Formats: sequence, C-alpha cells, structure tokens
Amino acid sequence: MARIGSLPAATLLIRAQRSPQIIGEPPGRIPPLDELVNSLEFEPVAQRKLDDAAFNAISGGNRSGFDHIVFRPRLMVNTQNLDLTTELFGDAMFTPILIGPASHQNRFHPEGELAMARGASAAQAAMVVADRSDHPVERIAAEAGGPLWYQAYPESDGHSLLSRIHKAVEAGCKAVCITVGTPYGQIGSNGYPRLSTLPPMGNPAFDWNYIDRIRRSVTAPLLLKGVMSAEEAKTAVKNGIQGIVVSNHGGGFVHGLAEPITVLPEIVDAVGGRAPVLVDGGFRRGSDVLKALIFGAKAVLISRPALWGLAAYGAEGVRTVVELLQTELARDLAMVGAANPQDLSRDFVKISRR
Amino acid sequence: MKQPERHRHGYVDRRESIRLLTGFLAGSPLLLAQQDPFRDHSRIPSIDELIDVFDFEALAYEKLPRSAYNYTAYGAAGEFTLRRNREVFKWIELIPKGVVNVSSIDTTTEILGTRMNFPIMVAPTAGHTALHPSGEAGTHEGCTAAAETPMIVSHAASMPIEEIAASASGPIWVQLYPSPDIETNRKPLEKAQAAGARAVVVTVDQEAAFYERALHDRNLAGRRSRRIRRPRRDLNRYRIPVKRLWYEWKLFDQLRSFINMPMLAKGVLIAEDAKRCIEHGLDGIVVSNHGGRALDYSPSSLEVLPEIVDVVAGRVPVLIDSGFRRGSDILKALAFGASAVCLGRVPRWGLGAFGPPGAQRILEIVQAELVMAMAHSGRPTLASIDRSLVRADLP
Repeated sequence: MARIGSLPAATLLIRAQRSPQIIGEPPGRIPPLDELVNSLEFEPVAQRKLDDAAFNAISGGNRSGFDHIVFRPRLMVNTQNLDLTTELFGDAMFTPILIGPASHQNRFHPEGELAMARGASAAQAAMVVADRSDHPVERIAAEAGGPLWYQAYPESDGHSLLSRIHKAVEAGCKAVCITVGTPYGQIGSNGYPRLSTLPPMGNPAFDWNYIDRIRRSVTAPLLLKGVMSAEEAKTAVKNGIQGIVVSNHGGGFVHGLAEPITVLPEIVDAVGGRAPVLVDGGFRRGSDVLKALIFGAKAVLISRPALWGLAAYGAEGVRTVVELLQTELARDLAMVGAANPQDLSRDFVKISRR
Repeated sequence: MKQPERHRHGYVDRRESIRLLTGFLAGSPLLLAQQDPFRDHSRIPSIDELIDVFDFEALAYEKLPRSAYNYTAYGAAGEFTLRRNREVFKWIELIPKGVVNVSSIDTTTEILGTRMNFPIMVAPTAGHTALHPSGEAGTHEGCTAAAETPMIVSHAASMPIEEIAASASGPIWVQLYPSPDIETNRKPLEKAQAAGARAVVVTVDQEAAFYERALHDRNLAGRRSRRIRRPRRDLNRYRIPVKRLWYEWKLFDQLRSFINMPMLAKGVLIAEDAKRCIEHGLDGIVVSNHGGRALDYSPSSLEVLPEIVDVVAGRVPVLIDSGFRRGSDILKALAFGASAVCLGRVPRWGLGAFGPPGAQRILEIVQAELVMAMAHSGRPTLASIDRSLVRADLP
C-alpha cells in the first residue's frame, strides 16, 4: 500500500519542482501573426525584430488628441449597405485608409518597399511611395496591384526632383505629395546636432514660386503634405494645389508640434471643399480614422502601424495591420450610425475637455 | 534471509519507513503551500468579510475560470469608454444638506407598473451558468431575497425564462435582441409574457461590437484567433458581422403588436434618439453604452444623462446603466433625473463569488449604500433628490 501511495506523492513532488508558469509573453517571442488583434500590438513585435536605431525611427507616436473626442452614436440606422469606398482623383479606393510614405524601408525589412507594396495591394490599400525609397519606383509599381502615389521632398535642385517625379508618374503614380515643413533632417540623424552641418532634407529656400514651377510641369494632381494651419491651406488651394495632407511628419522633427487631428477641423473649413483634405499622425485605431472622416477628412494616411507590420511580418504583416484598421473602421462606422463616410457630420462627435 | 520474510508479514524496517515518510512529506500539498510566498492573498474570505462590491470582484476573479471572469470584465476595443464609465463619477460631486429629518428613508418607487423597494434593477447580462451552476435562476433567487430587486432577464440567458421565473417570486423584465425576421421575435416575447415578464427592454446598440481581448483568451488557450473569425459567412467585405446592421425605427412599431407590456429601448446616448424613441411610442429609455462594450470612445452614459432627461421632460421613465458600482453612483444618476439604475457587472461578481447568496448580498450592500448616501446628503425620499444635490463639471 505504502509503495502505491508514494506514486502520486512523487507526481506532486515533480510538479513542485517545475518553474512557475510564465504569465504574459516570454521576452523576444515572435507570436504567430494570427495572435495579434490590433495595430498597436505590432509595435512590440517590430521592436524584437529590429535594432535600436531602426526601431527608434518608428516607435511611439502621440495620439492623446483622440482621447478628447467622443462619439455621439445614433441608433436605428440601417447600415447593411455599409460602403467605405472613397474616390480620390478619379480612383475608387476600397477604404479611406492609405499607407503613408516612409523613407528607406529596407531598414525594417529586407524587401523594404517591395514587401510594403505587396501588403498594401493585398489589403486593397493605396500606398504612397517615398522619394527616398530603397527600391526604384518602377519595381515597386510592378509589385503593387493597387494605386500608388508618390511623395517628394522639395530639393534645392529642382531638376533632379522633377525628373524623379516624372519617372514616378510614368511608373503609374496617380498623385504627388510635396512634403513641406522639413527643410532639414531630424536632429541627431547626422551625429550630434551642429549648426555648421545641418542635415539636408528639403529645400530651405522654399516658396510658392518653387511649388508653382513643379505644378506647371507635373500632370498628376499635386498635394502639399505637412500643412498645419488654415491660412496656409487656403493659400495652397489659391495657388492651384489639388489636395492637402495635414501632417506633422509623425512628430519627429520638432518637439511640441500640434497633433494633426486637432488642427484638421479648421483646415477643412478653410479649404471649404475646393480640394480633398487628408491627414496623418497618430492613427492607430478604426475610431481614430472615423474621427478624421467626421471632421471632414477625405482619407487617412497610416505610417507607423504599417511599418510595424512590415518589420514584424513583412507583406503579410502590412496586410494584416491595414485589414484590422479597415475592419475596425467599418465596425465603428456602423455603430456610430452611418452607412458611408458621406453621411457623417460633426454632429457625430463631441469635443471633451477631459 | 530474515528480512524478506518480515516484509511479507507487513513489517518495515527503520530505514525503509523513513524513506517512505520523507517521500510522503515531500509530495504533500501542505509542504508545497509553505513555498508559496503569496499564500495569504489567496485565502478566500467569508461573505461577511466583504464590505463593498469591489471586494466581490477580486473573489469572483479567484473563483471563476479565467474566461468567465474576463467575459464579465472586458470592454470593446481599447476600453476607453469602459474606463470613462468609472471616471465620470469623479467629475460629479455631491452637495449635502445637514439639517434634515432623515429618521426614515423612503426608497420605494414604481416604474411602468413594477413596484420596487429601491430604484435599482439587475441589468440583462448573458450566460450566468458560466458564473455559477444555478445560473440565472440563482441570480433571480438572490434578487428576490434582496428586497425583491427586479431582474431583467437577458435574451442570451443560459436557461429558459420559465425556469428563471419559477425560481423566485420577484418581478422580472425581459430583454430582446431583435431579429430581422419580425415574426421570429414573437415567440420569445410571448414566452416571456407567459412567464410573467412585466416589460421588455429592446437592446439596439452594439450593432457590430467585438471584444478583441477575448481573442487573447483564445490565444492563451492555444487556439488561433482570426482563423476562427475569417471563414464565417455572415461577414461583409469589411469582415464585420452583418446580423445587427438592419435596425430601423419601424422595428418598435412592428414589435408593439406582439406584446401588451411596456417596451423600452436600451442603448440611447443622444437626446435626438431619446426624442425619436418617444415619437415611436416607447414607454421608457435606457441610457447605456452597454457597459463599455459597444462603440469604444462613446461617452459615459452618466455624462449624457442630463441632456436626455431634459429632452424627455418626464414623459417616460429614463433608466441608466454602465459603470454603476456604489450607492453614491446611483444617487448621482437619480439627481440628474434617472428613474432607476441597472447593475450589470455587480450581480455577476456576487453570483460568481458566492452563488445566489452572493448576488443577494452584493445587491443589499448597494441598497444599504444608497440609503446611507441619501441620509448623509439630507435627501430622505426619492422626490427630494434633485439637481441641487450635485455639482457637475462635465466635459
């Protein structure tokens, strides 16, 4: 009897020896893609895949502005014909979510922009190709099934810029975003900050004449990316600009720039429907995108979440991030009580001081 | 030669007996318990040791399977609204009166023909058997024992409504998730009426909500999330379920012909909708964001209550839920003009922690807290509670 009794005793003994169960993620684990349930969860996975320098370039982002906007949801609105289709410059887009431009995406994935383009087209999203891509725009266009746009920095050498824009338009880019408000690179991107060797980026000697020159020689619609004030948006439209992208460039250049979502309403008002207004900066949730649409934005550019997806899982990661955001947006649109973005108005939100 | 012989007769030598005893002790759970530095925290206290509803939550967490606790705890998406539902009470302060005769406190009220001893009801929540084997019948038992608290039986209850109604004598209402084929709604409503339900609450929010944290639970259980989600046929091209996207105002007119009890709409968060509810002949309104489980970034229900009460202007009773835990929380809603407050998570914690007696005790605690709050703020009757009781700094 005693011998039989020692068997379960020994089992417990063995159990007690086991290390306690680890709660949460073991450090460094790359979970299967299906385990991630929202775009924010891709950031820590990207961190595990990247070196510090690459990850620091795409970590974080400020989205506290969204916490001061609450919905006023309407009941009993039939949304069975829910439709997110958005028309921009003659292209019908599956949803108003585009993938924003980011330079040198080989930093995040060996296939860089090519994988990004594959993921974007798998999710039926348009992608904005960055001027400083690690792959030629023709090759990116060959990978992409969906529409492409092009983003360019206004360099001092207007000629080479124009030839690159022409090449991009030839390759199939449907619109061109000129980034404004980044005359120099990010502090620290060139070693410690020195006044004598500011890292070059855009064109410090930049004005409306310069933009005019570009506009006259580019056939594709021209957008200004980086507009943050109603006044400048108005001037831009007056100068023939066909679209505005409200952006603070991810907040990476200067501390203390306003959040794009907070200046969006007055810019939409100033533009008054003469040109589509897009926005980027801090969009991580379908509800964030919905708020921009409610304020009158035509579409939203997402950058960091797509890059997290790219770094963590390549094209499949990009696709999943974008699809998760599309699904969240559709869900929130139905619950706020609108069947499509055109039915939205500012009545659907309340600004909250808290 | 001798030793094996003694063994056969049941004798064990000294060395052998020490070996067996050591093995037994080492394997004993008692010894294992000594190694647990947190053993004091895992002691299950008795029901009399719990003094507010939050004490029950910790206990429900200890006693329930993780999935049952989590289902109760979760909100939708990033849970902004779930958190805001509790934050809102910090933005509203009570301004008491001191020189008032509060020797007797009267909390009785009548809402749509249902007499209540307190302006407190149990909100409809799904699947109580996951919390306790007695399920909804147990909750109803607890409700009735706690001064006949009315219970709103969920459409997603885990047992038939007749069984729930038969388990105790207190009043019940019933909740309905309407079905697009209007005739399909007839049967559950008629069954509920036959079982003695005195009103129906039609839930019309949460058209496409989703607890993404529930996917984490599946992941923890070793199953993969979106593989379950993807092949479903009732999803539209944006991968959201379509089964509740058809809601329209005419629904209430259509349901009316099936019932001869009062009908309320649950999920109202804006004054315009409250107005339309009255236009469509609804007998009451439940202001609710579904306990933070419908649209994330909805406002807390309490912060929109004043505008809804104003537009309703006393024509129908306005009930409220989402975030209420304490007697003082309830008092704040009453001050803004709510007729009653529904509690969802609170009775779930009670039932999960101690079964029917837990549901009873947790409701009694809230009731006692409400009486204390009324007494200490110098408002001895429900009629004496008005907006002068609160100083609100709503965003």
